[in-house]
Amino acid sequence: MLNILLTLAVIILFYTVALFLGGIVERVRALKGEELDYTKNNQTHGKLFLIYGVFFLLMFAFSFKYMDFASLPKAASNWGVEIDELFVITAWITGIIFVVTHIALFYFVWKYRGEKDKKATFFAHSSTLELVWTSIPALAMAVLVVMGLKTWFNVFPNKKTLPANQLTIEATGKQFNWMLRYPGPDGVFGRRVLSKEFVSPDNELGIDWTDPASHDDFFASELYMVKGRPVRFNLGALDVLHSFYLPHFRMKMDCVPGVPTGIGFTPTMTDDETRELLKSNSHWASIDPETNEPRYVKFNYELACAELCGKSHYGMMMPAHVVSQSKFEEWTKTQKPFFEVNKDRIQAWLAARNLSAGASKGSNNYAAFNGGDTSKKALKLDSNMTKVEGATHNIADNKATEGKQ
Amino acid sequence: MATIAHGDHGHHEESFLEKYIFSQDHKMIARQFLFTGIFWSIVGAAMSVLFRLQLGWPNETFPFLETLLGKWAEGGRISNEFYYSLVTMHGTILVFFVLTAGLSGTFANLLIPYQIGARDMASPFMNMLSYWFFLLAGLLMLFSLFLQTGAASGGWTMYPPLSGIRDAKVNAGSMWGTDLWFFSMSMFIVSSLLGGLNYIATILNLRTKGMTMWRLPLPVWALLFTAILGVLAFPPLLSAALLLEFDRIFDTSFYLSDIVVGGNLLDYKGGSPILYQHLFWFLGHPEVYIIILPAFGITSEVLSVNSRKPVFGYKAMVYAIGIIVLLGFLVWAHHMYMSGMNPFLGSIFTLFTLLIAVPSAVKVFNWLTTIWKGNLRLTPAMMFALGFVSLFISGGLTGLFLGNSAIDIPLHDTYFVVAHFHIVMGVAAFFAMFAGVYHWFPKMFGRYINDTLGYVHFYTTIISAYAIFIPMHFMLSLPRRYYVFSNYQTFNIFEDVSKFISVFAIISFMAQILFVVNIVYSALKGRKFTSENLNPWGSNTLEWTTPAEHIHGNWPGEIPEVYRWPYDYSTGHGNTDFRPQTEPLQEGEDAH
Repeated sequence: MLNILLTLAVIILFYTVALFLGGIVERVRALKGEELDYTKNNQTHGKLFLIYGVFFLLMFAFSFKYMDFASLPKAASNWGVEIDELFVITAWITGIIFVVTHIALFYFVWKYRGEKDKKATFFAHSSTLELVWTSIPALAMAVLVVMGLKTWFNVFPNKKTLPANQLTIEATGKQFNWMLRYPGPDGVFGRRVLSKEFVSPDNELGIDWTDPASHDDFFASELYMVKGRPVRFNLGALDVLHSFYLPHFRMKMDCVPGVPTGIGFTPTMTDDETRELLKSNSHWASIDPETNEPRYVKFNYELACAELCGKSHYGMMMPAHVVSQSKFEEWTKTQKPFFEVNKDRIQAWLAARNLSAGASKGSNNYAAFNGGDTSKKALKLDSNMTKVEGATHNIADNKATEGKQ
Repeated sequence: MATIAHGDHGHHEESFLEKYIFSQDHKMIARQFLFTGIFWSIVGAAMSVLFRLQLGWPNETFPFLETLLGKWAEGGRISNEFYYSLVTMHGTILVFFVLTAGLSGTFANLLIPYQIGARDMASPFMNMLSYWFFLLAGLLMLFSLFLQTGAASGGWTMYPPLSGIRDAKVNAGSMWGTDLWFFSMSMFIVSSLLGGLNYIATILNLRTKGMTMWRLPLPVWALLFTAILGVLAFPPLLSAALLLEFDRIFDTSFYLSDIVVGGNLLDYKGGSPILYQHLFWFLGHPEVYIIILPAFGITSEVLSVNSRKPVFGYKAMVYAIGIIVLLGFLVWAHHMYMSGMNPFLGSIFTLFTLLIAVPSAVKVFNWLTTIWKGNLRLTPAMMFALGFVSLFISGGLTGLFLGNSAIDIPLHDTYFVVAHFHIVMGVAAFFAMFAGVYHWFPKMFGRYINDTLGYVHFYTTIISAYAIFIPMHFMLSLPRRYYVFSNYQTFNIFEDVSKFISVFAIISFMAQILFVVNIVYSALKGRKFTSENLNPWGSNTLEWTTPAEHIHGNWPGEIPEVYRWPYDYSTGHGNTDFRPQTEPLQEGEDAH
């Protein structure tokens, strides 16, 4: 209550003072007859603007210190490190331009504040100057473009060669959580069939249980990756757009219904290693009142949704971890395949349709990720690559189901 | 044009309805746009205050909110559904109704006929229609706030499938709220096309004698390019809206495919949500130039007049705008680097996007050179124009991060983006609009605006705007459009910063109310603008040769002839430090 009253008082005070000041000053000016004389104002505001300018640049500089706690720890992926370097270079270039132009602006306003008998210098055009400040930014931009595209093509290479030991994870966004599917020990995802027959509330992804590869696939409630082992996410969405966002890895890609997308990188920092880094961060080193321990103890990476997907968009949080290969294998063993857990239900479903589990070899009826290119040519080229993972492209509807019957 | 006798303009008695409501006079229509724009900016800003309350104090309750909003704020806390309606409406209203219609509509109407020396627009009737379609668009949008299922809540970009599936289970705002949003936008596009075609026709055909293209004041150049952009870019949005309505109402599959809702596969097959994004941003990106170009023009004019110096590199300024317009059509997909489109496309859009920095840099350096060695008259209008330069630099530079596709991977759809575009096309465009209102206030309302309140308005606004948006740059990991973020240990560290930002959002809002009070008070009670001093700023352009009171047809006699460019300040010729365009060149004077 006190807060509200105080706020109201401040608001009323602001308007009273402003309006009072405005009224008085105008009346005095009218009495003095100096209605359109800005000589005094030029003096006042030339100086005031310079003071504001100094304050502004100081606050800008200090904000880096004040906000230091908020910066993310060192990027935990190979591309993240590269992107951060690019970010820092861009920050230096823009920072210098920012400071120099602002100093010029504040200084000029103070220096050339109007005086009665002073004359402005007539200076309308200079080809040399304009050439200078066309070519310098052009040069700076050329540098930024070249460096930027180098990183960009590293993250999204045109050449599709798969790293040998790549871990592939399928992440599907839906309102309002993530479905993470691991291919299981065989390293191959079970086929999905997007037809009304296969897709049901029990099987939203339309997994085809007649495909033996589907039997060891498991769904994880937390994301696990392996340090030093390339990971690749085949991304999709069930209902609306989502965006697969891993802030600590500086990675993001939209999940689009009907359009397969994906992103890949190599994790470089385990949870423990990042935890170690956070010890020097004022926020993370502070004591969490709930646990009475420093905050970094409970640190883990997080997966977030970065594309507005409905009323609980902000709730799509999933913990993420980077561990060693041995720990990853341990964790994998604790994960139960979906098929195993739901065997009775699935067998009943299959029996009702006169199908048998693991009886068929076929193909997806949807396109898996191919680097984001949806042109026919790219899809065709890409099929060679995805065969490695055990899934081939076939856009035609329901071929898989026909084949089995 | 100057040779056409004036005839009976101005003597004809107009009824109240003709004069104030269904007016076809550009000066009245300009004021109609201004006041409608002010109404919408208050609504839009009040919405931002509401959602800043939620973001700053997510755990507290404000009982007055429940009184005010009923079921949308049960227990005194804004519901998440309403939160998303608020951010959607805030964006839509400010981008389209305030910074497009409010800014362009006001100053195109006020300045084009005045500064080119025309009696009115080429088609005053079309001009009136443009306003009325704008009003209709606004009313439709306003109605959507009172729907049972709430206003549209898919974000101002309205991406399908969220906006495409007409199912309250997916998104309540995607019911009638979204239909009204698209109907309203369609009306708005009609308004914008009617206005734009008219502006182009007027500038190309109705210039007074001697007013060659290279003698046009920069606001007119900027408004011409703005109109061209609008006319070419708005139709794709209309088609995008139509196709989306087909998807919504007739179950076509332009944008939708393979959608599973609640475990049921819907019938849509073969569409792509990314297609909508292409169509939307084909308007959406030029749209930011539609907003910022008039701001460029106004700033150039205000800086030059108040520096008592010609605008530096007049032709370079025009070419820069031209190049920005051209490149503006080739960069739309830089909003879509992470959309799932072919990454190779991203590389091309990176190239063109960073190229835009070059003409933008030229403009900034030219503005700085314009004030260099000037004799600056620091009116409130001038302060806001200087503020614009500062904001345009700050916001423009962060664009270099986002335009670079590789850096955009982590930054896309985060607070860094929010900070970037609010500074560069939100606050900056507002500053130019303020500069314009303060500068042309005597011309618009026949009275002077209160300067002291203007200065208070300036300092409060620039300090609070930066206090809001500089910290947001440091929240660069936090995704935008989060109703709460305490559920993430990565993001809950921003709670205090968020509070700080909310406090300054409220202060900034208060300063804007002060501005509105100032406008209304000064328009009614301010010091009179009289025929004793028709050219208070010592300006060269034609609008200051018209009489103090508004008359139909602008000039009582013949339209003055123009002999020179508009920026002959401090040339050393004549008795004053300015040489109006109507003054013939004297011996020894150079034509520019």
